[in-house]
Amino acid sequence: MADARIQVPAQVRRGEAFEVKVIIRHAMETGYRLTDDGKPIPRNVIREVTCRYNKVEVFRAETSSGISANPLITFYVMARDSGELVFDWIDDTGVRGTERAPVSVAG
Amino acid sequence: MMLMAAAFLLGAAACLAQAQQRNIALPELRSGSTYMSPDIKAMQDDTFANPAMLWVEKGAKLWNAATGASAQACASCHKDAAASMKGVAARHPAFDNKAGKLLNLEGRINQCRTARQGAPALAYESEELLALTAYVAHQSRGLPLNVAIHDGARPHFERGQVLYQRRMGQMNLACMHCHEWNAGKRLLAEPISQGHGNAYPAYRLEWQAAGSLHRRLRACYFGVRAEMPLPGAQDLLDLELYLGWRGQALLVETPGVRR
Amino acid sequence: MSGPNAPTGNRFSLHKRVLQRLLQRQLLAAIWCAMPYTVAAQAAEIAVLGDGIAQPLAEPGDARRGRALLLSRDPANCVLCHGLNDPAVRFSGNLAPPLDGAGSRLTAAQLRLRVADSSRLNPDTIMPAYFKTEGLREVASSYRGKPVLTPQQVEDLVVYLSTLR
Repeated sequence: MADARIQVPAQVRRGEAFEVKVIIRHAMETGYRLTDDGKPIPRNVIREVTCRYNKVEVFRAETSSGISANPLITFYVMARDSGELVFDWIDDTGVRGTERAPVSVAG
Repeated sequence: MMLMAAAFLLGAAACLAQAQQRNIALPELRSGSTYMSPDIKAMQDDTFANPAMLWVEKGAKLWNAATGASAQACASCHKDAAASMKGVAARHPAFDNKAGKLLNLEGRINQCRTARQGAPALAYESEELLALTAYVAHQSRGLPLNVAIHDGARPHFERGQVLYQRRMGQMNLACMHCHEWNAGKRLLAEPISQGHGNAYPAYRLEWQAAGSLHRRLRACYFGVRAEMPLPGAQDLLDLELYLGWRGQALLVETPGVRR
Repeated sequence: MSGPNAPTGNRFSLHKRVLQRLLQRQLLAAIWCAMPYTVAAQAAEIAVLGDGIAQPLAEPGDARRGRALLLSRDPANCVLCHGLNDPAVRFSGNLAPPLDGAGSRLTAAQLRLRVADSSRLNPDTIMPAYFKTEGLREVASSYRGKPVLTPQQVEDLVVYLSTLR
């Protein structure tokens, strides 16, 4: 169930930085926990999250087991042209996720 | 004039009866969110940062997805949930006369699936049922809890009250010992709330996930080292009804964020 | 039930309430002339005399072990409810009276009964019984028939609590 929510302002002004938020549903299993009968639960966290703005990478994060489940990431991007943000991520088991959001630039 | 006075007295008597029926007086009634630190309260109120909104959003997708032999979606009959589901969660659990049993919101959703959609019931605590329940309950956010305790619901209410007040487990504690006698005090560093269910399904930081009220109740059974009923068990449904009555007038906060 | 001070009807508890009142007036066990009685617990028998258990449940306790037990999350977890002025206690609950001075307020026999089964003194107590297996309901299977603490752990705690003066 790869899913995520992205928040960008409805409209942004060219040349100005705007806030981007993404929250990705993921258990971020640390690898340090045990099952009730004492067996280790294997680590499975998102390893990497990238964001491309009109195909140009504008953000990359290497995430690890210190990050909570369902991580929320906030950063700023300079508004250039209307288009879209595309998020991609991959976890320890190789499962990939992707989610996109339109960007509308005025001026 | 006499009639008016009589009506006034009757009204006052009814109010008094109502007041006496509450076990927490209205001015003292506090949602669990009032015991939390401001940052967690802020996380609950921010509909983007609130991680349980992932479940609500998934519930919205399920609401609109055709399923079962009928190939009908929830939306096929109920249309826009914002209108049709408003207040529904605040009235549950409710006694269903036709089915002859007490249904909470999860039970109502599954009843609709099996009886109307021709779809299998969703497992209690499954991601799908949590998502749908959170989505439907979210439509009541801000509305007061208002469960009905008449006719068929009465024995369930009474059973719930017994369970609420009865000691159990190796720790030999009843719900009321913490959540009524000691609400506002601390267990280790953790404030003890009045124990209301008005924010469920909720995201608990301890769980790092959204969960049902029954999951939360089971955590208390675990804490007092008692045998835990399965989610959806009759005992938990009866307790849920009693809690709904006890929290009558609290506003629905679903999806809540809790420690 | 309408609160912690609701009167309870049976003779046993009324009896205990009289005792509590006497204790509050610090008349203590001197004028207390109840017959000693024993209650079978699965693990052992405890002999309650007055408001205490005079007879140790095991070998003499060890205060160092008792302190470790008091601070541990499991099985005793005293600070979940009780405060204690001890540098190792970073967080503690406030549901129950602080343990500071417990040793000067109570004798070892009194401490032993309060740890083993506080409900003998106050049927409405919220303090779990740490050495009791009877009269409980719906105990999770992994704990059923077992007291929370072993007799030796009770003794270790009692000795440590006695040092809190």
